[in-house]
Amino acid sequence: MNKIMYLEFERCIGCRSCQAACRECGDHDAKERNYVEYVDFMESRQTYPMLCMQCKDPACARVCPANAIQITEEGVVLSAMEEKCIGCRNCTFGCPFGIPKFDFEENKMYKCDMCYDRSKHDIAPMCASVCPSDAIRFIDYDEMMQLRRKRTQMNLIEGKKPQEGNKWEYVPEFFGVYSD
Amino acid sequence: MSDFVAKKGVKNLQHKDEKLITTHCCYCGMQCGMHIRVHKRTGEVRGVEPRYDWPVTMGKMCPKGVTAYQTIEHEDRIKKPLIKKNGKFVEASWEEALDLIEKNYKGLQSKYGKDALSVFGGVSMTNEKCYLVGKYARVALGTRYIDYNGRFCMSSAAGGFIRTFGVDRGSTLPWTELEHSDCFFMAGSNTAECHPTSIQWFWKAKDKGAKMIVVDPRETPTARVADVHLDLKPGTDSALANGMMHILVKEGYVDEAYVQERCNNYEQLKEQVAHFTPEYTSEKTGISIEKILKAAHIFGRSKRSVVMFARGVEQQSKGVDNVALYSSMSLLKGHIGKFASGVATFTGQGNGQGGREHGQKSDLLPGYRKLTDPEAVKYISSVWGIDPEEMPKPGVSAYEMFDEIQKGNIRAMHVICSNPAVSAPNTEYIWDGFKKLDFLVVSDFFLSETAEYADVVLPATSWAEDEGTTTNIEGRVIRIRKVREPYGDSKTDWQIMSEIAKRMGKEKHFDYKNVSEIFEEFRLATKGGKADYYGVTYDKIDEQDGVFWPCPSEDHPGTPTMFKERFATEDGKANLAIVDWREPGEIPTEDYPHILTTGRVVYHYLSGNQTRRVNFLMEQCPLPYVEMHPELASQYNFQDGDFCKLTTRRSSMTVEVKLTKAIREDTVFIPYHWGKELSVNQLTNPCLDPISRMPEFKVCAVKLQKIAEYEMPSPI
Amino acid sequence: MSSLERSFYSKTSMYAFFVVLILSISVWFSTGQFKHMDMALLGYLLSSMIFAIGLTIRMCAWLLRPATHKVIHRSFKNLRTRERKNRNLKSVFITAMENIFLQKFIFKRGLYRGIQHWLISWGCIGSFAITFGLTFGWMRFDLIDPETYQIVVFNVPTMIMPAHGLLAEIIYNGLNITASLVLIGVCMAIYRRIKDNDVKVTQRFEFDILPLYILLAVTVTGLFLTVSYVLLEGFMHHYLTLIHQVTVVILLIYFPFGKLFHLPIRPLTTAVPMNYQEKVQIDTRPCHSCGAMYSNDDQISDVKGILEIQAFDLQLEDGTFLADYCPACRRRIRVMKQLNLGGPQGNPFQPIETRNGIQMSGFGKKRSEDFYEGSNESEQTTVHGGDQ
Repeated sequence: MNKIMYLEFERCIGCRSCQAACRECGDHDAKERNYVEYVDFMESRQTYPMLCMQCKDPACARVCPANAIQITEEGVVLSAMEEKCIGCRNCTFGCPFGIPKFDFEENKMYKCDMCYDRSKHDIAPMCASVCPSDAIRFIDYDEMMQLRRKRTQMNLIEGKKPQEGNKWEYVPEFFGVYSD
Repeated sequence: MSDFVAKKGVKNLQHKDEKLITTHCCYCGMQCGMHIRVHKRTGEVRGVEPRYDWPVTMGKMCPKGVTAYQTIEHEDRIKKPLIKKNGKFVEASWEEALDLIEKNYKGLQSKYGKDALSVFGGVSMTNEKCYLVGKYARVALGTRYIDYNGRFCMSSAAGGFIRTFGVDRGSTLPWTELEHSDCFFMAGSNTAECHPTSIQWFWKAKDKGAKMIVVDPRETPTARVADVHLDLKPGTDSALANGMMHILVKEGYVDEAYVQERCNNYEQLKEQVAHFTPEYTSEKTGISIEKILKAAHIFGRSKRSVVMFARGVEQQSKGVDNVALYSSMSLLKGHIGKFASGVATFTGQGNGQGGREHGQKSDLLPGYRKLTDPEAVKYISSVWGIDPEEMPKPGVSAYEMFDEIQKGNIRAMHVICSNPAVSAPNTEYIWDGFKKLDFLVVSDFFLSETAEYADVVLPATSWAEDEGTTTNIEGRVIRIRKVREPYGDSKTDWQIMSEIAKRMGKEKHFDYKNVSEIFEEFRLATKGGKADYYGVTYDKIDEQDGVFWPCPSEDHPGTPTMFKERFATEDGKANLAIVDWREPGEIPTEDYPHILTTGRVVYHYLSGNQTRRVNFLMEQCPLPYVEMHPELASQYNFQDGDFCKLTTRRSSMTVEVKLTKAIREDTVFIPYHWGKELSVNQLTNPCLDPISRMPEFKVCAVKLQKIAEYEMPSPI
Repeated sequence: MSSLERSFYSKTSMYAFFVVLILSISVWFSTGQFKHMDMALLGYLLSSMIFAIGLTIRMCAWLLRPATHKVIHRSFKNLRTRERKNRNLKSVFITAMENIFLQKFIFKRGLYRGIQHWLISWGCIGSFAITFGLTFGWMRFDLIDPETYQIVVFNVPTMIMPAHGLLAEIIYNGLNITASLVLIGVCMAIYRRIKDNDVKVTQRFEFDILPLYILLAVTVTGLFLTVSYVLLEGFMHHYLTLIHQVTVVILLIYFPFGKLFHLPIRPLTTAVPMNYQEKVQIDTRPCHSCGAMYSNDDQISDVKGILEIQAFDLQLEDGTFLADYCPACRRRIRVMKQLNLGGPQGNPFQPIETRNGIQMSGFGKKRSEDFYEGSNESEQTTVHGGDQ
């Protein structure tokens, strides 16, 4: 798999299709694992989608006392393994991005797995498949790099030069699973 | 042919024990392509899979589309016919229900004449069914009183298009071209929420540098990213369009050659718009002069532009005028019939386009033929095998049918695929009408608010249990496939109508064994009409990814772009709109100082009868609310979550307040998907457009009042 | 202690050595200086020793992980704290009852799964108890007279029972009963693993299905041994014994390294009510930003500690850590940073501007002005997304 989940917050129209679609994924048990939130509804209708970054060295896995969070060979960070998870919620506090969800009833953590049954066959995850605004995309690594370059160039045309330390503010969010 | 259609190289997830059936969504006019997952052995519906290769939507779906399959085997489905006895519904057999209908229909007709019966249709069903509803009313029941819920939806667009171009096809261009346009002028459309899957085309165009001008009293998600957001006062579209044309004329943005060659009334138009100076326009619409100028210059300078509008401009007492005026803007630029340019309306209902063309309207016959045209009556009579003398005369529009009920002319009604108890304006009047009826039959697959008034409820099938064709937002005829066998004892609408026709002694006109037979007859009926479907076949739809009408013969490829050479008017020229300023039906007064407008939310569809039963959608938006600017709210000391009682000249309702700056200070907004006490249509104004008979849902005067304690009623 | 540790290759090998030593001594003691050794169980004894070594190694490896170590460390500290005695006892009792014995949380995931898991787990635990009891000689039956057995535990004679009494039957058939539980549970589990599309998503054969087949092999051969003995007059009994022994050896050796290892670490779950969330879904620590309750102080300090040991720098400019914020605020922080809306922008007395122009909208490709041919200078032609 050489594909990336690519997020562009400004494109989001807040329809929450991605959340409805997330419930449809295999093994998601009709519970969504992604987020769509308003930046500030009082001010505007800007919303943003939020998914797991699939970190290469995930903090959630590092803080898990049961060693329950596993990474697949493709690099997808899976939900805590149900048999190992002791339900301590360390992962939800360790994750710098506030992604893992916890089910108190069933005593287990669950998180975005990029629709593993789809993405392992190179089929786009449900959220990226249905997102009507392309705020969530499942694209090639090269395409992602191209989009990022374009974005940086656009800012340069605007006369805004990224400085060391804030250059990440000039490129859109991207994350996902790829092999270099 | 296989039920699963996918192009080469497209990967879909398919489980071993499931099959995929290719179809389209049941909801809005986008008719997003989807595959439904069905269990091979049990035939049970398992879920949905994106149809990545459907060229209009590319696998995208909105939350309604993703969850649409959940209504098919929903526990609330009506499984058997219901007959009301002593105010309660009792399950009955089809025999009993049909006996009762026959008895009442025949009794009422012999007592009060043929026109005592009426049919209220809908367009969230296939072309075949919509076509049959017209035939059912006119042949089986022999009544003149037939109309449909498109009166509350598309009729202004239809009226405006016919007046301007001579034919009503919702979009003059295929939507796959939108990506290449330079400028979008979108009026009265909350596109991101009502037609979410179209957003990809606008965003793609924007990636290439296209400009967006959005006209809306609310800062919708599209308005938020627009280059100019024209935040007009509801009901002032005609002033804005005239004002825009004033600048187009003054700045020389008009394509004179095109206008001279292809349009009528240009000189009168120049005269008419002369006094719509930016100052005057600004005064009427409440938009700042700079924004009007900026928008006009962007629009004027764009080489390709698409003018788009939706219910915001159409659901007004000036709906037809507004459509004609906005279309004229595009005509002045010479942009109709060209690549990536044109005019389009966003069709609200699934088959809003196809359904309005084939004789559900009180004055129309299949193929967009006029009931007042003797030739048309003769042709259709021959297709139907009746004497032209037997063809009933034109009836009245949807809302006016309820006047006829009040007058005692209509004694019985058959509501098919519609829920006017929620969707009509001034609903209390509608409810009263239903109570006055001697006999009400409702065909539906959930017990809707309308069905609760019925004497007999017939269980219809959902969209997934029957095949057929629909016509999407672009005018593309597409194919709906049967996903599973009818649920419980339900029957398809065409079977129900045929059964009743049989009871009325008209079986020879309704002798259908399957949908294809209806489709064949329907094609023939449209042959030679303005909406000509004669050349459309099921196979051609699969081969070509849908066929755009008009398609007059089987070797004709269809017509993706309209009006390339000539318009469909008699002289082949488009009619520019000459319309002066006129106030909406209600303007704010001292007693009712603010403007109320209504609309959709992304999670619900029309009267919500289906979407209010889907868990995900209800979790996102369980109840109606009123959106209000904090500045207006502070006048009444409203805070987020307070209860607000809204009163208009017709009625009042109480909802929760949601504060946002993304709305005009003088306007409040309530979504309309709920029934009974939660229906905002209790408040809306039934002031009708003189031509399209469209009620003015989008503008009425309202007063606000803070309520300390209130318990919201249940939403279902 | 440290000098003792240094006389071994590693801490783990020290523990493994002592585990083997203690077990050997217990065998020596229980069998009365090997006098009552059952030589037929020698193979089992050896593999049980390997099992013990494997388990020790795995436990050590597991405990060495910073996250596990931190939680265990706090658990022991709390267990020693006198003021927490009530909470500790309650936590241990409730966890043992609801989580480990009844396994309520698995029943919440589905009745089928609950039953299946309960059968497998208690069947396995029972079987292991009996097997280890017999192989290590901790428990044996001595024939006092032809009609009476005596149960000897750790070489201490205890109760006496008639050889054909009900109790005796139950005890002889103990393994058959537990094996039957496992067999039913394993069959249910295998059926689910084959049928359910959802579990197939992340399941791996060697991790999720292999242990089920091993358990199936052990129980089927074990039960067939009884069948052969009781019904078939010892048909193939010798070979069956051998086959069964092989399957058990495989199971014992596999156990510490595969999925079944989740059994011995399950008691860690006590740490949740004991150290962190005393009452389910009741949090006590407010979010640094929005003030919503989202965790408790001990847990956040543990999480911070674990992250620090592993060199995760998640401290913000103002000195707070990301773990000080509730998950919703953390998501927002990320987005605001991304949209460059983090700090105050422009006039603080003006409404918050969500479109600041630094972060271009995703579409904001500007069009060169010559696109609009004939654009005249005086007109305002540069138009850009809703900046006004």
